[in-house]
Amino acid sequence: MKKMKKRIISLAALLIAFAVSADTIIVQADAPYKTYTVDGYGYVLETQTAYLPYETITKVGEEALNAPTDFTLLDDGYMYILDSGNARVVVSDMEANLISTFGEGVLVNPRGIFVTPEHICYVADRDARSIFVFDENGELIQTYGKPTAPLYGETQDFLPLKIIVNESGTMYIICESNTNGVVQISPVEGGTFLGYFGTNGTDPSLWNIIWRAIQTDAQRAKSRGNIPATPDNMAIDEKGLIYTVTRGEAKATLKRLNIAGVNMIEPDYYEPVPAAVAVGNHDNVFVASQMGFIYEYNNEGDLLFVFGGSDDGQQRIGLSTKVEAIQVGTDDKIYVLDSDKAQIQVYEPTEFTNYLHEALYLFSKGRYTQSKEPLTEVLKMNNLFDYANMAMGRALYKEENYSEAVHYARLAKDYEGYSDAFWEIRNNWLKHNLAAVIIILLILFVLKKVIGVLDKKKHILDKPRAVLHKVGEVKIIKQLRYMFYYMRHPIDGCYGIKREGRVSVLSANILLVIFMLFYIINKYFCGFLLKYVREGSYDILSDIGTIVVMLVLIVGCNYLMCTINEGEGKFKHIYCSFIYSLGPYLVFMPFIFLLGHVVTFNEAFFVQFANLFMYVWIAVLIFIAIKEINNYKVKETFKIIGLTIFTILIACLLAFIIYVLWSQVFDFIQSLFGEVVYRIGS
Amino acid sequence: MAAKSKMKKICSLVMAVILLLFVPDMGCGVTLRAQAAESINGHQFVTENARYALYMNEEDLSVVVADKVTGAYMESSISYDDGNNNNTWLGAMKSAVVLTMIVQSDDTRQADLLNDNVTKTITYTSNGFTADLYWNSYKLGMRLEVSLEEDGLVARIPDESIREDGDEYQIGTISIYPFMGCSYLDDKEGYLFIPDGNGALIYLDDKEGRFNSGYTAMVYGTDVGFQETVVETLLHDRYNMINDARKVAAPVYGVAHTDDKIAYLAVIEDGAMRATIEANPNGVNVDYNRIYAKFVERRLYTQPTSNNSSSGSFKKPEDSRSHSDLQIRFMFLSDEEANYCGMANAYRDYLIARGLLRSAEDSYRTRIDFLGTERENWVLGTTAVVMTTVDDIREMYEDLATEGVTDIFTVYKGWQKGGLYNVPISKYKADGGIGGTSDLTKLIQESAADGIQIYLYNDAMRINPDEQNATFNVIKMINKRRFTEDTHKDVYEEMMYLTPARSNKLLDKFAASYFKKGVDTICLAGVSNTLFSYNYSGEFYTRYDCAESYESMVRDLDEDAALVLEQPFAYLWQYTDAFLDMPLYTSNYIFEDESVPFLSIVLKGTIPVYSEYVNFEANKKEFFLKMVETGTYPSFYITKESSAELIYTNSSDIYSSEYSVYRDTIIEYTLELRALNAKVAGAHIVGHEMLPNDVTKVTYDNGVTVYVNYSNTAQTVDGNTVEAMSYKVGE
Repeated sequence: MKKMKKRIISLAALLIAFAVSADTIIVQADAPYKTYTVDGYGYVLETQTAYLPYETITKVGEEALNAPTDFTLLDDGYMYILDSGNARVVVSDMEANLISTFGEGVLVNPRGIFVTPEHICYVADRDARSIFVFDENGELIQTYGKPTAPLYGETQDFLPLKIIVNESGTMYIICESNTNGVVQISPVEGGTFLGYFGTNGTDPSLWNIIWRAIQTDAQRAKSRGNIPATPDNMAIDEKGLIYTVTRGEAKATLKRLNIAGVNMIEPDYYEPVPAAVAVGNHDNVFVASQMGFIYEYNNEGDLLFVFGGSDDGQQRIGLSTKVEAIQVGTDDKIYVLDSDKAQIQVYEPTEFTNYLHEALYLFSKGRYTQSKEPLTEVLKMNNLFDYANMAMGRALYKEENYSEAVHYARLAKDYEGYSDAFWEIRNNWLKHNLAAVIIILLILFVLKKVIGVLDKKKHILDKPRAVLHKVGEVKIIKQLRYMFYYMRHPIDGCYGIKREGRVSVLSANILLVIFMLFYIINKYFCGFLLKYVREGSYDILSDIGTIVVMLVLIVGCNYLMCTINEGEGKFKHIYCSFIYSLGPYLVFMPFIFLLGHVVTFNEAFFVQFANLFMYVWIAVLIFIAIKEINNYKVKETFKIIGLTIFTILIACLLAFIIYVLWSQVFDFIQSLFGEVVYRIGS
Repeated sequence: MAAKSKMKKICSLVMAVILLLFVPDMGCGVTLRAQAAESINGHQFVTENARYALYMNEEDLSVVVADKVTGAYMESSISYDDGNNNNTWLGAMKSAVVLTMIVQSDDTRQADLLNDNVTKTITYTSNGFTADLYWNSYKLGMRLEVSLEEDGLVARIPDESIREDGDEYQIGTISIYPFMGCSYLDDKEGYLFIPDGNGALIYLDDKEGRFNSGYTAMVYGTDVGFQETVVETLLHDRYNMINDARKVAAPVYGVAHTDDKIAYLAVIEDGAMRATIEANPNGVNVDYNRIYAKFVERRLYTQPTSNNSSSGSFKKPEDSRSHSDLQIRFMFLSDEEANYCGMANAYRDYLIARGLLRSAEDSYRTRIDFLGTERENWVLGTTAVVMTTVDDIREMYEDLATEGVTDIFTVYKGWQKGGLYNVPISKYKADGGIGGTSDLTKLIQESAADGIQIYLYNDAMRINPDEQNATFNVIKMINKRRFTEDTHKDVYEEMMYLTPARSNKLLDKFAASYFKKGVDTICLAGVSNTLFSYNYSGEFYTRYDCAESYESMVRDLDEDAALVLEQPFAYLWQYTDAFLDMPLYTSNYIFEDESVPFLSIVLKGTIPVYSEYVNFEANKKEFFLKMVETGTYPSFYITKESSAELIYTNSSDIYSSEYSVYRDTIIEYTLELRALNAKVAGAHIVGHEMLPNDVTKVTYDNGVTVYVNYSNTAQTVDGNTVEAMSYKVGE
């Protein structure tokens, strides 16, 4: 009765004609959502709109969709929509014109669809417990039921939800409540069960292991943590690699599995509740979350964009309610199926994204120099864009422009790229300056010899030596210098602290301050490759706070334990010996710090080794300090260390309980106050 | 359906008979002194002006406004009942005044003129009528005054006439003629006009039940004073993903029936600060298209009794209703004016006639804003990130001058001591990092001599609690909780709002020290586009109070300063020398069928209108064409240093701004848009059409026509061939 395409012709001033089509709503505008990307630290940044809402398909021809759950987009412009609410398949062209429908009367509760390039259509029907195969005319040509192979499991139900099919016709099926993995069925002999594929792992955390050890078998079987999560959705690319998404699997949320089921991708930023995955045209991958967030990754799992969002009554174009499927068109448009809204939302890449895709493509093909052009355009529009900086750095590295490469690698936090480029720079520097360095070293050496000789003959260094000696004899300096002795002779050193008063609380305090200083300098200003805090972020107060609290806890708890365990140490002695045990840190750290500025990943081993050496030394010193100051035997010392750790835990627990109680009281007072203010106010 | 079309036939037959009887010379369509009919759809003739006649039904006070020349009319009540409406809905559809009442914590009870026991005293006046209304069972009363003036139908409820005599029922909202211009499904051709973004249309086609809610927006933005737990779509519980919907900058809405060549633009003249505009296409509850203003007198709010969000809160209404007259002017438009362009023209005339918009010097300028300094976290505090110094600006101006770009308009942001977010600014003191106060003064004066205007950016509304003492003089919400605005950024995580009185005081102090140096150019933000209710030292202030304070503050400042305002609301337009950050699009609501440049048509040729920053547009070409179409001048946000420096500051969303990157774009845009705008300088847009082939045709009152082709192929219009994604100027 109503015309499908309706033209509203307004004969106002001049003939104003709006072409309105009731099945697609086309809008050119800016987006209601923001677009983000992440930098090398995983720090989320806003960026240019990557995709704009392009059109919304709510109907195919005259046919309204009812709770569609899946669809497939073919390169030749056919769209197969699984209209689950009506238990049928709707075939459409890209302009949402109806081509055909089929599957009525066959399908019961279909949930997944896959269509091969030859238009052979596979439908996973949950309630029919079957896979139905239709030919290009929509005729049912094959039905696969529950695999009969014993390996499948006799008690295991067959509730297919999603399906993909590879070139050879092997079906990969995600089944509800089948936690063994993706069911793999070959089409030979009416369906041969090949086994399970892409099984997710369980969480092997320490806690789980302990917990498992004390559970009964029955409890163990029920425990959720022991059951691997079933993938939620999957996709297949041209090379036959299979992508799965699984909710709550952290870095394994998105997997790219080769034929052997080995994962080859690790996303740097993942979605907790993914709903669907699709493969793009430029080695890129798209993941859609149920909420409506759409993630685009490059082939290494680096996040390029995340955009979109959930429509909580805002009713704005481009926001989703319940996303079930995502597909990418040959023109890079993204198609997102929303089952609640019963529509397909199409997103169109912007100029910015087109440049990025071009760069992605060129870069993946190894045409680095060419890729610099689109990369420059991308960086022009957003010079914080992490991927572009990384690619630019790598491209410049290939061009042997190392200083620029280092700059971009550092911006992108591309440690490998930085290390490689830095190695080249250092190499060049050495090449050019090695002679000069050797000469300078020689001169210095000769100078030292000369001065030595002169000193022997004319005693020219006597005066400075005397001054140094005098300074060295100042009490506090002497106490500080004791650190070096203590490091080398801890047992004697402890005796000195305990009996001879060789150190004071003041000297220990000074050492503590120097320790903090070194710690902070090293933390924030060490070499880029060794830095684990974000560049530009400084949180000195909490660093100092952490050190002080740790110290108070360790020294305090240790002292408490020693006093009730016949330890001889006084608090002062314990404190001083602990601080003096940090000596190796004060001695080695400056060298490690300097070394850190010139090493690349190739030599990072030296730094790690130096660190290990230093920390072991400190641990030994502390152990000896506890033993000697309190006059314990080795066994007693271990016991005291165990007790100290236990006491620290108890202290933390106590602090936590007090905090909780106080916050309750505080909240009560605040509520009371709020109530009073309100009563007085009214 | 059959009944409906029958009904329609009868209606049109009756109309034809009436027209034949009473308007014998209508066929010529030239006489303006046409005779009005006795009655239309049960509405009796009341009065007439030169073009329109007013009819009224005494039962529900609904009105019909008819064009005496064409016979077309618009009615404020439905004349065709599809039989699916219950009595409550019929009451809402037909009554002149519809209330929602608050009974304890229920704010959904409706009161209207049909379903309730209402005493009506109707008095006819020279140009309309007055009706005293009293709802006996609810003990509520008010007076509705309706008059047909030369430029439209005015409906008014004076504040002093509103009475709440009982304790049980309180007035929540008041809607006046909520079904004015309504239509059933696709009976009429045309659209509803909503003031979303620059302007948007909702077609009057059959929506087939696609939408279950329509457009609801508070005029002049939402009220933070009532901010309740907002549902935010956060990515990983941290990042705000949704751009805020555009604020309604002008209190207008409209309906056009293009087949009947009749339209109206409604201007909310009084009460706009607490009104919402509600536009509902068919399918939203009922099958009628309607748009109206809902005046809020009193709202429910959530009063928590503890800071723990999970426990202790209750809903209650405001203690007293807000006080303002409520007045809507329906400006009717006919013939060639009966469309959105006509609405915009009518609104422009309306504003200029009342002095609400004044002409400012409107020659083409490229807006190049600079960011001076920002802060990032550093050892025990923050450190400066200097982005653009005074000397940098001077160099950039010189560089641009060599390319012939001297027509520049600049807003300098982050010039003050302590950087962009050291707000409020109470003194004219520039940051040492950018060159210091005297250097800045010198730059402003020298540039002015060269014809470059530099305005200093001043957000007079916000206070940064990390940099300044925000213990006093900040607003509290109606529930007496301090209001904080989450920045979703790292350095300064939240901002607070100053009370208008405090803003005024600090702004005065700043202005005094600024003027002393012989400079007077200020760009005001915050206060220009925000309104809120608030509590301060035991007093509750409404949005009317807030608007009044802000307006007087801006008015006073405007006397001594050269003032530009960032995205100003309509009641401040008369004080600004330029409109900054004009939105060129809408909020993308799913029920919007078309975006139209309503605000641009209103303002183009009167004051300069500058776009939002070009930097952050992903589709640069399309954005450029949009500026061509609307006569908007381009804006750039520029820094000398690379924007990578800003990554750890609160301005981390500025991801692209370096001068060397934008230099060529600035020159290119300037040369092209300057040439274009020279042809239409000072001219108003009088015609705007979106042709089916994706070409938009814009006609100016000096005869110049601009064709903008948004399609990917060349198109020919009126004999002019316009290249793909390009534009052409016709004479």
